Amino acid sequence: MHIAAVDHMANNGDSFLHHALPFTKVIMSFLFLAALIFSNQIHKAVFLLVIPVAFILLSGVNAREIFHLALYSIVFSLLFALIQLQQSWTAAVMVMIKALGAALNMLLLIATTPYTDIFAVFSHVLPGVIIDLFIFTYRSLFILIDKLEDMVKSVRLRGGLHPMRLLFNLKNAAGALGVMTIHAFDMSERLYRIYSLRGYNGKIPITREWGPLRWVDILLLLFSLIVLTGVLIPWKI
Amino acid sequence: MSHIHLPDGVIPPAWWILGFVLCFALLWLFTGRIKGDELRRKIPFAGVIAALMLIFMSVPLGFLPVHLSLAVLCGILAGPGLSFIAIFVVNTILALMGHGGFTAIGINTLLMGGEAIAGYYLFKILSGRLSCTFSAILSNITALLLSTALMLILVASTAGLSEVLPFHDHGQNHGEEVHFAESKQEEELPENYDEHKAAEAEGVKFLSITGWSAVIMIILSGIFIESLLTGLIVNFFSKVRPDFLDIVHPT
Repeated sequence: MHIAAVDHMANNGDSFLHHALPFTKVIMSFLFLAALIFSNQIHKAVFLLVIPVAFILLSGVNAREIFHLALYSIVFSLLFALIQLQQSWTAAVMVMIKALGAALNMLLLIATTPYTDIFAVFSHVLPGVIIDLFIFTYRSLFILIDKLEDMVKSVRLRGGLHPMRLLFNLKNAAGALGVMTIHAFDMSERLYRIYSLRGYNGKIPITREWGPLRWVDILLLLFSLIVLTGVLIPWKI
Repeated sequence: MSHIHLPDGVIPPAWWILGFVLCFALLWLFTGRIKGDELRRKIPFAGVIAALMLIFMSVPLGFLPVHLSLAVLCGILAGPGLSFIAIFVVNTILALMGHGGFTAIGINTLLMGGEAIAGYYLFKILSGRLSCTFSAILSNITALLLSTALMLILVASTAGLSEVLPFHDHGQNHGEEVHFAESKQEEELPENYDEHKAAEAEGVKFLSITGWSAVIMIILSGIFIESLLTGLIVNFFSKVRPDFLDIVHPT
């Protein structure tokens, strides 16, 4: 599961992007995303693709892992690119560049910002219940991944997976996922008891880091604003 | 399974804004229903369901280029409201991982959430008359076909229906085709040319599962495998922990 690897990058990185405020990085990502969505010329879209790539390389995160994850966006956009291909090849390429650029932007954000900080920024616009849900999901995910890995190992050791027997594999996979679900339900009960004891009433307190703005924040915000403006203005040179 | 996650930049802003508005309206409706002690119990539960969905999605289906989502199973286990909220969380986390567009979170949630809600109600109706396993399989197939059809309609309406149809040909190509046909007639045929054999050869399809038929085959295979797996998991619960299915028919 790549979430653990990305989480490691976000929490252990030491680049200028890691030191920027979460708020700055979320705003920057959304400005780049807006620029990408509204760009209608291929050279502008390519430029917007180069920016996150450059930032990924500069931030010292595991670029290989990030590019691997970004490839999924190409796979998902392929169907839509094929549809656009019937109009023109540039429309098809634009669909793929936009999907890849947007995915790289989001990956840059999560590879340089811990999830909890991103959720803290989202808490300004989303209800507290949803933010709590993000936190519970995130917490449960890592516990369940460990359980899944152990379970897959034991299924393999007991000969529960056979490369050529689809129905046999499906039956065992269903049993394993069923056991996993039972574990998950027990875990949710435990979480309920723990959080009830701690006085949880539907809002987990989270720290929101707002400022003060540093030079890196100001520069990043300015740069992203310039990029968005530059993309939206129809240049005639 | 239905979520061939829509990426960013594919859908016009009007559509994804509408998707967000509808999605937030439903979220507001469903979260508003959870109050008091229920909140303390149901929020961790929904979090675990969302985490489970993320894990189910990481289960590969061998040679098929699709993965499980088990949204219907989550709908059956958590009910329509909680599963919709969990699906929103799942789609947001996936969008942050570059798996589906951030602007498409609303639409992706509506599609997958619709799958979970439809699956829940279908299972509720069917399980009163049929066995749990069979009901789960049937409700899963129906919900997945419904959401896949919805997604295709959405893509068709954004790209233009004629662009999505498999055997569509553009007007601009017609001229080329006519020209090509005329020039073909003008070409001199070889002396041993047999019209009957040529017609037979044209009828032979060397690779019949290509293009759109391949896409449809992949989608149908994915639906079949996911439905079978959902049925088997529900069968497992009916034997080991039948109380998990109580939400559908509360005692």
